[in-house]
Amino acid sequence: MTNIGIIGMGRMGITHYSIINSHQDVTITAVVDTSSLVLSLVKKYIAGIHTYSDYNDLFDNESLDAVIICTPPVLHYPIALKAAEKGIHVFCEKPFTTKKDLANELANIFDHKRLVNQVGYVNRFNDIFQSVKEYIQKGVIGEVIQFKSEMYSRTITKSEEGHTWRDSRENGGGAVFEVASHAIDLVNYLVGKPDKVTGSSMIQIYSKNVEDAVNATFLYKKGLTGTINVNWSDESYRKPTNKIEIFGSKGKILADQHGFKVFLKKELPEYQLREGWNTRYITDVFKPVPFYVRGNEFTSQLYHFIDCINDEQKTNLCSFRSATNTLEVIDAIFNDFEQNGKF
Amino acid sequence: MQPIDNIIFGDNQFFGINHMSQEKAQQLSEKFYDISNIFKVYDYAFDAGIRAIMLNSNDRAKDICAYFRANQAKYGDISWYPSIPYPHKYANLISEKGIVPTINDILFKDNTALGVLGLMAKGGAAVFGKDAIKMMQMLIDIEIRMFKGLNVKVVFLQNIITDLLLGYGIKEIFVEYCEYIRKKYKVLPGLITQNMPILKAKLEDWGIEEVVICTSFNKIGYLMSPNIESYTNACLNNDPTKYQIMAMSTLASGAIPAKEAYKFIAQQKIQSIVFGASSKQHIVETKELINSDI
Repeated sequence: MTNIGIIGMGRMGITHYSIINSHQDVTITAVVDTSSLVLSLVKKYIAGIHTYSDYNDLFDNESLDAVIICTPPVLHYPIALKAAEKGIHVFCEKPFTTKKDLANELANIFDHKRLVNQVGYVNRFNDIFQSVKEYIQKGVIGEVIQFKSEMYSRTITKSEEGHTWRDSRENGGGAVFEVASHAIDLVNYLVGKPDKVTGSSMIQIYSKNVEDAVNATFLYKKGLTGTINVNWSDESYRKPTNKIEIFGSKGKILADQHGFKVFLKKELPEYQLREGWNTRYITDVFKPVPFYVRGNEFTSQLYHFIDCINDEQKTNLCSFRSATNTLEVIDAIFNDFEQNGKF
Repeated sequence: MQPIDNIIFGDNQFFGINHMSQEKAQQLSEKFYDISNIFKVYDYAFDAGIRAIMLNSNDRAKDICAYFRANQAKYGDISWYPSIPYPHKYANLISEKGIVPTINDILFKDNTALGVLGLMAKGGAAVFGKDAIKMMQMLIDIEIRMFKGLNVKVVFLQNIITDLLLGYGIKEIFVEYCEYIRKKYKVLPGLITQNMPILKAKLEDWGIEEVVICTSFNKIGYLMSPNIESYTNACLNNDPTKYQIMAMSTLASGAIPAKEAYKFIAQQKIQSIVFGASSKQHIVETKELINSDI
């Protein structure tokens, strides 16, 4: 049995609780939140659970195997560090930390201590993007030459007084940390980490203190290039949507969370792919999950975390190390914009 | 338990929702921008003999309800199966403001009609901090208001909420939801889920009966957790006087040809099917397929 504590009962904490509580090998023993309203509700309706308003008290008083960290990102580092000191496995929400050096330090510590570590880049568990990854790895579209990774959502659609953590880069807010991180991680996952970032631009639409949209160009020493285009104030999207287009020497793939299209110069019967266009929908490639709350990928990622705890041989699909790579790209975008993106 | 309609006309097609293709969803959203096109499609459904509508309490639903209310003489015999809430509204607000300010806004700021304005001054959500049930009842009232005056048969809780709460396994919330719908609105409580066998087992454990369960049900097992076999078994062993099962996503967003899809559905022990379509021909064909197989 794995005893778990959940730190931060906001939108993601609430979702993760529901999902992981369905796992038969897991007991959620405690939650931490700073809202007394949230804690009083938890205490009243969930029998036997312990509640804390300070994560230090959780670590001092509970005997835990793992924690799920869903606080504002600026708190991820001190909490994960404390977990490592106690020998506790960590699932941490994206964007992991707000500084690449802190991320790197955590990745080293967790690897050294052989503790399971995972970050919530949930697209890595989406059945479509996993299929795209497999196609690219097996060379279905040949050598990757060029790509475009986009993400759109209607997260911030009104001018609000900047009072939440989302309106502060220091706290891990802004469209780059919150949304672009997914588009960048998808690039790292599917085609690898870029060697250089250039042409970064950031604009504000509604937010006072952070960016609402971002563009950047990624360069690779081996010759391929790509761009990201991200906007978290786009009301034309009902749900957060990632889109990626990858052009290769033998064909091309267009994908989003719901389906993908493959264009091939020559047919590949072993994959049942014709010359020209081929469409695959989520209904063609999905794998059922034991319990569904917000999408198969949300369940798959947490069950994977538990699988990795139960089986030391398993390689984590979204480790602190890979999330550090994503933060390094984010850092390069911020730097490039500061140096070259302003008049 | 009063039997529900065995064919119900759904609404996803009207609101730009398609699980398989966003492109398709966008096309439909353009087609139904003009609300008279929505009423036209409803008329096709009624002409085909369908007498029941399932409708989610989103912003456009208000206008749809108002139209049917204003035309009671023509549509008075139509049965309504509302689902609440419109989850994205809350999800977006929570992203922008945080959970507590969202509850405050919805329950206390824009809600003078419920006479709770004074509660805002007393601290809003904090006043009800220890009473989730009271907050839930107030949210239900807000969401159901738009269906007032229509012939409502079942009030469904949307799957994102049902399944989230199911994960927590809190009996009291389910008991109170079902009781409130039964007592205050005098209709059957309904729960939409993508985890039907798990939900049904819990309801049985908790002694909650006379509930309508609406769930994805299709030949390929899409949006059916934990798997297709447990769905089929849960239905085989079901007593329909305790739980009526309504199938949705029967075509898996179009992945299964209609004929094949409804042949499979006809083999399941279920009480009702909800489907959506946006052309006269599709509506008529689907209705015939369902009837011929049942």
